[in-house]
Amino acid sequence: MASSGDKGKPNQAGDQKEKKRKESILDLSKYLEKSIRVKFAGGREASGVLKGYDPLLNLVLDNTVEYLRDPDDPYKLTEDTRALGLVVCRGTSVVLICPVDGMESIQNPFITQD
Amino acid sequence: MLPLSLLRTAQNHPMLVELKNGETYNGHLVSCDNWMNINLREVICTSRDGDKFWRMPECYIRGSTIKYLRIPDEVIDMVKEETIVKNRGREQKSGRGGGGGGDRQNQRNRPAARGNFGGRGGSKPGGQGGRNPPFQKKKQ
Amino acid sequence: MNKPELEGTAHLLDELDKKLMVLLRDGRTLIGYLRSVDQFANLVLHKAIERIHVGKEYGDIPRGVFIVRGENVVLLGEIDKEKEDNLPLTEVTVDDILDAQRKEQEEKQEQQKLVTKALKERGLQLMGDLMTHDDMF
Repeated sequence: MASSGDKGKPNQAGDQKEKKRKESILDLSKYLEKSIRVKFAGGREASGVLKGYDPLLNLVLDNTVEYLRDPDDPYKLTEDTRALGLVVCRGTSVVLICPVDGMESIQNPFITQD
Repeated sequence: MLPLSLLRTAQNHPMLVELKNGETYNGHLVSCDNWMNINLREVICTSRDGDKFWRMPECYIRGSTIKYLRIPDEVIDMVKEETIVKNRGREQKSGRGGGGGGDRQNQRNRPAARGNFGGRGGSKPGGQGGRNPPFQKKKQ
Repeated sequence: MNKPELEGTAHLLDELDKKLMVLLRDGRTLIGYLRSVDQFANLVLHKAIERIHVGKEYGDIPRGVFIVRGENVVLLGEIDKEKEDNLPLTEVTVDDILDAQRKEQEEKQEQQKLVTKALKERGLQLMGDLMTHDDMF
């Protein structure tokens, strides 16, 4: 939307855009000391308490648990987990972050309207 | 209207995001940046095979893992209006976008119910609303 | 026109507002009107359908507006409006094509299992397609 407002003073608009660009859209501070779920490139998933982070999305997680996958079908999560303890997650491989609080497995929510 | 401007316009609208790994995320777009990183709220995550579902209050997705996003029809109309307004102030530089509307018929050629992508469209037998579980089994 | 200067994705600008077929890396086919492109070949497809082919049959599922990340596109082709109406293929209902697709996939899966098993017995292991297409995921 920012692009639509550049009628009068392109410079100002440009500056604003520049600012926006540098500020991450993800504010990880709100997750500090809270449990988050992280998915990684390659398919691994883990959750742990966020202890620290940097702008590149490198994360420090404590009490981390990895959710293991079916060896025959690496897309399927199993019930198995393993404890990883205190870990550093490489930002470049982080694909998704969401809070554990409020995340729940549910029944197919899309068939109700049939 | 660039793809990313359209995405920005789609803020606060419901959308479906499919990742390269086949997982889909239905939710409202909260914010996005120039790398296509996005924040969604009130999210439903569907596994690759469409057999497992999770609800999440919010989530952040790295842009580079996205395959595509599906957004509501009306968002594209919103951008069109914007571009028309913009073009009025300037000289007509290229034929596309703002003006004529070219070769396409203007009305929607789609079945009535689209609604939120989460919903399975409705009317039709199989319910082809969104990219949904029953036919989500794609390639192996 | 300054066409000769255009390079790479700029050629896609010629295709704006045309009806295109887009083949994705996961094998899916989308058909829709190209409304926008950027330097990464990210696309906006309008009034899009997903077309599923099984043998000589196909079915279309209406999908609406897509923003496709360019890196997932294998191929883009303009739809010839004249030839479009006499395809050597038959259109079937969405349910039928989905059934056919399911069957086809199950067969492929079975086949794959056999291959994997045979290889395993010979001491070779290929980790699904995850390892071979690592860049995709």
